[in-house]
Amino acid sequence: MNPTAGLSKSRLLVTVLMLVAGAFMIVPFLWMISTSFQSASEVFSRWLPSKLDWSNHKRIWTGNYNFVPYYMNSLKVSLISTAGAVFLSAFAAYGFARVEFKGRNALFLVYLSMMMIPPQVIFVPKFIMFNWMNIYNTHWALILPGMFSIFGVFMLRQFFMGVPREITESAFLDGAGHFKIFFRLILPLAKPALATFAIIDFSWHWNDYENALVFLTSPKLYTIPLGLQNFILENNVDYNGMMAASSAAIVPMIAIFLLGQKYIIQGIASSAVKG
Amino acid sequence: MRKSKWWMASMSVVLTAGLLAGCGGNGDAKEGGASSPSGSSESSGNSGSSGSKTKLTLWGAVPAEAGPQAVIDAWNSENPDIEVEYLRYVNDDGGNLKLDTALMTGQDADLFISYSLTRLQKRVDAGVALDLSAKTDYDIDAQMGPDAALWKIDGKYYGMPTKKNMSFIWLNKQMLDDAGLPIPPLDWTWDDLKAYAAKLKKDNVYGLLQHDSSYTATLDGTIAGLGDTNAEGKSNFNNELWKSHLQTLHDMMFVDKSTPEYGEQLTSKMPVDTMFLKGEAAMLSAGEFIFRNANNLAEFPHDFQIAFATVPRVTADQKDFKYPGGLGDALSVNAKSKNQDAAWKFAKWYADGGMLPMASGGRLPSSKSVSSDEAIKLLLQGVENMYDVDSLNKVVFGSFESFQLSIPQQVIDARKEEYEKYFLNKQDLDTTLANMAKRHEEFIK
Amino acid sequence: MKRHSWMRKQQWAGYAFILPNMVGILLFFIIPALFSFGLMFTNYQFANPNVSFTGLDNLKRMFQDDQFYRAIQHTAIFLLSVPVSLVLAFLVALVLNRSVYLKGLLRGMFFLPYISSGVAVAFVWMLLFQPSHGPINEALRWIGIASPPGWFADSDTAMYAIDIVQVWFMLGYNMIIYLAALQEVSAEQMEAATIDGAGKGTITWKIVWPLVSPTTFLLLVTGLIMTMKSFAIIQAITQGGPSGSTTILSLYVYKTAFSYYEMGYASTVSWFLFAVILVITIVQWIGQKRWVHY
Repeated sequence: MNPTAGLSKSRLLVTVLMLVAGAFMIVPFLWMISTSFQSASEVFSRWLPSKLDWSNHKRIWTGNYNFVPYYMNSLKVSLISTAGAVFLSAFAAYGFARVEFKGRNALFLVYLSMMMIPPQVIFVPKFIMFNWMNIYNTHWALILPGMFSIFGVFMLRQFFMGVPREITESAFLDGAGHFKIFFRLILPLAKPALATFAIIDFSWHWNDYENALVFLTSPKLYTIPLGLQNFILENNVDYNGMMAASSAAIVPMIAIFLLGQKYIIQGIASSAVKG
Repeated sequence: MRKSKWWMASMSVVLTAGLLAGCGGNGDAKEGGASSPSGSSESSGNSGSSGSKTKLTLWGAVPAEAGPQAVIDAWNSENPDIEVEYLRYVNDDGGNLKLDTALMTGQDADLFISYSLTRLQKRVDAGVALDLSAKTDYDIDAQMGPDAALWKIDGKYYGMPTKKNMSFIWLNKQMLDDAGLPIPPLDWTWDDLKAYAAKLKKDNVYGLLQHDSSYTATLDGTIAGLGDTNAEGKSNFNNELWKSHLQTLHDMMFVDKSTPEYGEQLTSKMPVDTMFLKGEAAMLSAGEFIFRNANNLAEFPHDFQIAFATVPRVTADQKDFKYPGGLGDALSVNAKSKNQDAAWKFAKWYADGGMLPMASGGRLPSSKSVSSDEAIKLLLQGVENMYDVDSLNKVVFGSFESFQLSIPQQVIDARKEEYEKYFLNKQDLDTTLANMAKRHEEFIK
Repeated sequence: MKRHSWMRKQQWAGYAFILPNMVGILLFFIIPALFSFGLMFTNYQFANPNVSFTGLDNLKRMFQDDQFYRAIQHTAIFLLSVPVSLVLAFLVALVLNRSVYLKGLLRGMFFLPYISSGVAVAFVWMLLFQPSHGPINEALRWIGIASPPGWFADSDTAMYAIDIVQVWFMLGYNMIIYLAALQEVSAEQMEAATIDGAGKGTITWKIVWPLVSPTTFLLLVTGLIMTMKSFAIIQAITQGGPSGSTTILSLYVYKTAFSYYEMGYASTVSWFLFAVILVITIVQWIGQKRWVHY
């Protein structure tokens, strides 16, 4: 496993095999790009456009379909929600993983059970509550609930529990409090998990259609998933425009993924402490 | 070292997020502010007299650029005291959910358009549609004609049906001529259509394509004539006419192969309108919305003339067949709106000609105050010679006895499941009809 | 699990860590959930202010509802995708963690489905599974299968075809979480095993798999929960058809609530769904002691 060694044959073979499998994973992505360059009458009739038609990409940034505000709104909602969710989840996860308080397991099961409620049936009570809190039809209706992720608490709890207790115990005996341990020891060690959760959570907020649909009514506040609805016409769908917009919408997610990847790979070095 | 870099990165994310929140925050505050105080300060009614500007929101499912934007732009320039904003919702479960939730607040939805009687019914039940028959200054029956009455709920109008609905068979006249077939008469039947389709199909050309929205036009028109239930309160779904019609379609799929097999159509998401305009089908069963693409010769180039035929009845001696069509686009005033008078003023204007800019997309106004010549001119501007005038006048602008579908969605879905089983050859025809009737009866019980 | 007495000290800290999160969970989950629990005993129609108490009528109706039972069967088939996707994702993560070149690129490729446009995903799979001339059936005919399945066009196979798409879709998501977990497995542990003469298969299943078991537990529990709740892929591809053969419980709830407006009944079915997931989760929670190693 020495990275400085020359090309290994078996490793090369595995790489090629995985590339073939990977190609199968990206077909929809390629179809999206291809369709975004086709003209209206070409959709579905061919895999590749007859000629590169840039008009779809142009019109999503101008005129009726202007995606700039949707983009900004989505960035705002997703970034704040994700930042909040990572922090709040990590905090609670530490409580569940590293402090044995009374009723811990029962409380955790209550948490988990709340994950099981189908969102459709709590739309109405949420709507009433948001209306009462005066946040219906504002971005806060997405951001505030978005900062609380049960999945995040569960995931980070699992990872924090994997951090050897000996490390934190010795720090505790040295007089460090839980907060110090959390910030100084656990968070840096859990970087791969935090980065992974951030990637996933961001993708959820970025693609969240249902909450945005119900809780935002002013077009000025619309996020990208609502903007994409513009391409659903009355009795047919403008697939070219929709795919052009979707191509633009995937860019930030890829960026976040690449950014997060760095920390996942970096984690290898830090895991040495586990020994 | 690494630790500090990591914190720098996360701090910068939080900062960016905070900044974005800052910019957007102002917008939010304005939004929230606009909805509550302005709503209360403008006491209901006497629009325009107070001098303060009334703001109305109109919800509809037509994309803004397909006409509605032009409509409200015209209104806003004529009426500086009442500003209307158009808000587009998608007419699916999600979009209607959005509208229904907004209607509950009564703040950001003053006017709304419903596209089916069943959805309007739900809104009447919820108490958000104002009774428009109580208005003395507009006679919907007189303005919209006899078809309007189909939109009455408990004898009252809760929405004004503003547009003529149309559904018919679009014909590629070139292909008909080549096959030596005349334009079919108005009273043709499915057997005639089946024979046409068999003669018209070629390699890579279907005899008939059906748009999803028209798939059940004949079933619905038949049951509208028969009535959902018979005298004993039993379901009428198990009727001979449906049986004959389903059998015809099945034969066309599997024997004649003149129309796509059901599974094929389901799984290839056939863009039927594009296929028809590209000459990949000789006949297309669909509504007036095809005009939008058919008139767009730049994106959908074609050189054949289009002719029209009615949706065929099942048998020549079928009594009481109702044609799909009638009126649609029911415009309602939200009973919880604080600006009902202004909204009503807009509604009358919209119905009596304000909606004309939408005619080019196929939406012909139903009100008699609008000259139909003008609407037709808008519809066919510049493409007159692409249509067969005679059949256009007889079919598209003809008048037929129509219906409004009032079967509950649950029953429509159950019916669809059963005929899908038949078209996918999972169930024989008699079982299919028996199951449709059984599930219908279970529902009405 | 060895007891660490220090973890029981400063119990107040436990509450302090959880409190901020608890407030949000209470507000945005627990309170709305209680409200929806109450709806179970009413005939509430969505958006309709006239509500009356109907006692256990909704429950009675549910147990007599054929469509409800049918949806349960479909949900069970849908859940098969969870363990399959987990095992595949673990293997892919293992390979992409060490034994390939172009790690970044490959990880990106496998994660891409999870963030791709749902519409594009639906269309491509419909094209691939197209019964008469789609590439999958062409290939099956080429290897000698005369009448390959109709996939989405056949009510007997549609649910399984959906499973295949779901496995494909969830692969990247499960993979990146496994990748994060593998970072906690240190090189020393692997090397020690190699020196002991363990083969690759042994290392994988006897050492690495137990080491990532907390993650497997997480992905299994949440995977089952999320799969039971989600229907986006089904909505995009089949809308629950043909002839209702892909209507899973959550989609049935959605239709009942917003297409039929029967919110009271939808709540009842939801709470049944809730009860089932809760039982499954508690069983897993108790069972974890046997195989999850923290």
